[in-house]
Amino acid sequence: MFWLILRGALTRQRGKMAMIALTMALGVSLATAMLGVMMDVGDKINQELKTYGANLNVIPRGASILGDLYGVGEGNGVSDKYLAEDELPRMKTIFWAFNIVDFAPYLEMQAFVSGLSASSQAMVVGTWFDKHLDIPTGESVDTGVKKMKSWWDVDGSWASDDPDSPSAMIGASLANELGLGVGDMATIDAKQGEGKKLTISGLINSGGDEDRQLFVPLAIVQEMSGRAGLVRRVEVSALTTPENDLARRAAQDPESLSPAERDTWYCTAYISSIAYQIEEVISDARAKPVLRVAESEGAILQKTQLLMLLLTVLCLACSALAISNLVTASVMERSAEIGLLKALGATGLAISLLIMTEIMITAFAGGAVGYFAGLGFARFIGRTVFGTPVAVKGLVIPIVAILAMAVTFAGSIPAIRMLLSLRPAEVLHGR
Amino acid sequence: MNILELNGVSMIYGQVKALYEVSLTVEKGEWLAIMGPSGSGKTTMMNIIGCMDKPSSGSVVLDGQDLSRLNPSDLTAIRRDKIGLIFQQFHLISYLTALENVMVAQYYHSMIDEDEALGALDRVGLADRAKHLPRQLSGGEQQRVCIARALINYPSLILADEPTGNLDETNERVVIGILKRLHAEGSTIIVVTHDPEVAEEAEKTVFLEHGRIANIVKNAPCHDLASSGN
Amino acid sequence: MAVALFAIAIGATVLLGMAAISYDIPRQMGREFRSYGANMALVPVGSPLISKEATDRARALIPPDQLVGMTPYRYEMVRINMQGYTAAGTLFDEARRTSPYWSVDGEWPDEPGEILIGYDIAEFTKLAHGAVVTITGRASNGGRFRRDMTVAGIVRTGSVEDEFIFMHLAEMEDLTGIAGGTVVEASVAANEEELNSLVARIASEIPDVAPHLVKRLTQSETTVLSKLQSLVFLVSLVVLGLSMICVATTMMTVVMERRKEIGLKKAIGADNRDIASEFLGEGLLLGCVGGLLGVFCGYFFAQAVSVNVFGRGISLDWRLFPMVILVSAAVTIAACLLPARRATAVEPAHVLRGE
Repeated sequence: MFWLILRGALTRQRGKMAMIALTMALGVSLATAMLGVMMDVGDKINQELKTYGANLNVIPRGASILGDLYGVGEGNGVSDKYLAEDELPRMKTIFWAFNIVDFAPYLEMQAFVSGLSASSQAMVVGTWFDKHLDIPTGESVDTGVKKMKSWWDVDGSWASDDPDSPSAMIGASLANELGLGVGDMATIDAKQGEGKKLTISGLINSGGDEDRQLFVPLAIVQEMSGRAGLVRRVEVSALTTPENDLARRAAQDPESLSPAERDTWYCTAYISSIAYQIEEVISDARAKPVLRVAESEGAILQKTQLLMLLLTVLCLACSALAISNLVTASVMERSAEIGLLKALGATGLAISLLIMTEIMITAFAGGAVGYFAGLGFARFIGRTVFGTPVAVKGLVIPIVAILAMAVTFAGSIPAIRMLLSLRPAEVLHGR
Repeated sequence: MNILELNGVSMIYGQVKALYEVSLTVEKGEWLAIMGPSGSGKTTMMNIIGCMDKPSSGSVVLDGQDLSRLNPSDLTAIRRDKIGLIFQQFHLISYLTALENVMVAQYYHSMIDEDEALGALDRVGLADRAKHLPRQLSGGEQQRVCIARALINYPSLILADEPTGNLDETNERVVIGILKRLHAEGSTIIVVTHDPEVAEEAEKTVFLEHGRIANIVKNAPCHDLASSGN
Repeated sequence: MAVALFAIAIGATVLLGMAAISYDIPRQMGREFRSYGANMALVPVGSPLISKEATDRARALIPPDQLVGMTPYRYEMVRINMQGYTAAGTLFDEARRTSPYWSVDGEWPDEPGEILIGYDIAEFTKLAHGAVVTITGRASNGGRFRRDMTVAGIVRTGSVEDEFIFMHLAEMEDLTGIAGGTVVEASVAANEEELNSLVARIASEIPDVAPHLVKRLTQSETTVLSKLQSLVFLVSLVVLGLSMICVATTMMTVVMERRKEIGLKKAIGADNRDIASEFLGEGLLLGCVGGLLGVFCGYFFAQAVSVNVFGRGISLDWRLFPMVILVSAAVTIAACLLPARRATAVEPAHVLRGE
């Protein structure tokens, strides 16, 4: 009979139930979407902030990065230390391999570059443009400056790493000086032996030092400078967690942590733990966090997440209010029915059970629909804003379910209690 | 044997004495009508007899049990077991069929029995309307469903509050006919009404005025005989 | 009625708060993005150095509320113990503003004679803060200079600064005997468009300075900020929708509770239009009062969010206020209409009998 009453209530007053289910669906879908977006916004923004470039510089231990960056003379206290190119794929095997988004090695040399009309001393940078790598774990990735330097304004196309048909990219001001354009041949004069001729595939406009450099495939610089298989430094772009006290202490000295703290630190994507792990897999390497990028990322991520958290809480509160209002209203409407059931001898418990079950079933149906609508909505937000759909985490389901249950309960219990405290006589005589 | 005894029952709401020192006995199988102008205490009395309210003072004994000592949940149990309620506004559950509305009373009383519920509808002449929803029934038919629901659990006492208040002449006749038949079958009936025609059908009419019993009139038995002669 | 007023006020609070926040997001977040450092560099044209006077003229062209910091750098080769290093003369107060990411172990230089040394130099030379070093170099007139300086702190950034020595610009000018900066970095909280026009203005008005935008910062900022803004905008729409639903359900509850009253009014001769207009009037009043309340609460709400998240107050467009009140009134009326229509459709007798 319980189910008979329930079935009657659910199927024969569809309008009312549909209204509750609809509000429920709406509330739940928006809550799901918001929670989904909130939980994923960190990753998404982090991904976006990758356009600011590398947040880790990997250099040989004991080496100075100054010499290469500023050309302050070779041998001037700058020791000749290098990293091995064939060790680089190991970076994708560390604990946080998945967080290593992109990386690119560099090996520079000073050389005479001649174009069609002029020649000049310039920095020739060997690097990976869009290199295909086979990782020891069996996976493969494509990485290089094409992904790392997304802010470069490239006139023409990106050069190729292909050793059979090598091409080069040239900084806009250097190109201007040498009278080179896309498709022209540039010649790099070697100190000894034969020079190299490369086709210019694109002009770089970066607003920085790159405008005066020539970018060629890594192998060419290695060959011409006699440093086969070596690179000077590697820029790494990694997704990281904002730093906290633990991370700062670890950055000072990882050995000062207790074993438990160390585990926490090692298994969190702090920039310092990623740097530490890179140092573990690449021999004689020192991974230096680029604070400009790392610190700013942390600040912006935190602000964004805090903002989204606030908005999500607001959103949840609003949907809770809307749902509980409606549930209260729909229970209150049934005062006559509840009075009658009491007059017929139903106990308060039996009535509460009946109404709660009825509302819960409706809410569940609405909530299920809402959940899936919310998934779609989150995807929509993700695609509109970030161009990739937001992956709603599994954690959202229990949160939303508990929330919806709690709200429905909170909305119906006071109303039911109030109605049960009414004496049937008062309700039935319409007073 | 007395099914109901009221001894010095008073109901006082603040300054207002809705009922004052009312004593009344109802015998088993008796048909009693309670009449009186608005505000005379009819509804209060009905609520007290129907276990939906407790008097401020005095004792109510229903079927040998003193109601004034019971707590609300015991009162609910008594109401369920001993009393069949008929309302002026029918109070049927809108989303349940006539049959299911009768079965709800069975459900809260003990256990459901569809055949028995159909039988009850048959007794009020509604067997063919069992699967209809209240909104598909006329006022008279709804009241008959309400009566079927009231008698499904074989109550010691049938309590009707203005059972014909919302009905036209024809339906009033039908409902009174059913009450008569129930009376003839031995049910104890108390009808609260202000319709003299309904009151006349009872064996005894209690007149309430200002919360007191003003008069008790025994109706001519010929009515009773004449109509229940079959 | 109090419940309805409460709901409307909350709705209006959310409305104003969200509108204010999503309107102000680019400005607020733009400030945060300044932690990436300078986004404009001024280099000298014609002469090797930028004079203080040219710097001040450029500074005057940048709106003061958008200028985060403007830091001149003067690079010179110096030696410590015969080892060559790049020394940069700068204004430390400004440097802290333009490069907030510098992590200094020890103190920022305050007194004359105090310097910062890069992390790599400190590692290499084993110098700690408090150490006194002798800096030597060649002055512009060909003579040599030599001065003892105290290491106030060690700066770590993970990039080129780790290999620099930083000293007060005035001291650098004093030592070398020539005034001016090699480059002036400016951090300006503005979008790409504003920056471009600023660059054009500086270039045209100050001929001996060539302003450049740090492309990788300005461009990245534009993309990230626009995404953030559209995210907050979408989310605001969601929250708005929800708060409107909330107002609507509350109004429905309130109106449904008054079915009896409607029935009674109809019974004593009111027609549907009378009842509808009565409800609309009430809705309008409720909406306006609730909206007004919400505007006040919303202002403080937006202010609180801004202070908590960004640590700064919010700037509000005052035109938002009447708009919010209008929208609340419209939503309230719309929310009244449906239940009022349903209620007026009911036969008065039914309602009054309590069916």
